Amino acid sequence: MSHTQATIEMMFPSELGYEKIARDAIGTLARNMGFDAERVEDLRTALSEACINAIEHGNQRQAHLRIHITCTISRNRLVIVVSDEGLRFHPASRLATASIEQKLAGLASTRGMGLMLIGQLVDECGFLPSRPGQGNHFRLAMYNPPRRSATA
Amino acid sequence: MAKRMGFAADRVDSLRTAVSEAVTNAIEHGNQHDSAMKVVVVFTGSDEGLTVDVADQGRKILDHAVTERQPDIHQVLHSDDKGGWGIWLIKELMDEVQFSVAPTGGNKLRMVIHLDR
Repeated sequence: MSHTQATIEMMFPSELGYEKIARDAIGTLARNMGFDAERVEDLRTALSEACINAIEHGNQRQAHLRIHITCTISRNRLVIVVSDEGLRFHPASRLATASIEQKLAGLASTRGMGLMLIGQLVDECGFLPSRPGQGNHFRLAMYNPPRRSATA
Repeated sequence: MAKRMGFAADRVDSLRTAVSEAVTNAIEHGNQHDSAMKVVVVFTGSDEGLTVDVADQGRKILDHAVTERQPDIHQVLHSDDKGGWGIWLIKELMDEVQFSVAPTGGNKLRMVIHLDR
């Protein structure tokens, strides 16, 4: 692979199980980019969660609707955007995340654990700005070396 | 995907090799190493097997004769160009192979691998 920026795209039906294929493909990509095994596993888990959210919530498990994944590779960074067709739209502004303590205390919805988990596994994540009809676009980024360690 | 569909390990390996060869051909020959050009790979699974379409954006349209040629080991050894084995290999490994022109105007290679049931 060259060190210039490159883009890989993937598309699959909104059926549970296909996220495993995306997870395997992107795990291989991350390993080839030099991410260590633990970070590859973190990314695989985070990507699975993001895809399942897109299948179950964004596309409401309607198999004919597509999940689209775009991976942008540069020298030290892998950026992945998971997009659905937005049958159920999540405005980015409404996704202020509650803490695990708030959720366990019943002060916030117990939904959204997947997003919380993703946030613990990758260096950056969040919904990109979008409008109804444009689908939901969830972005994950991993740096090599990790950005979190670099700033700690 | 093939593994999850129930293909045996040796068939999965054959498919990996064939897809790798087809994509390498598309990058090197069809798209002439231009990274701005895309290679599109479409996997379609069914009860009978898996169909893989590999399409490039075709700066160099595949010569039909190349798709029929059997590589000659002696000729290849004495030639500067050590290529020419990819298409032969794909045909050896897959159950069906077809060449056509992609909607984008490039080359499209369709390969099918059957599930033995």
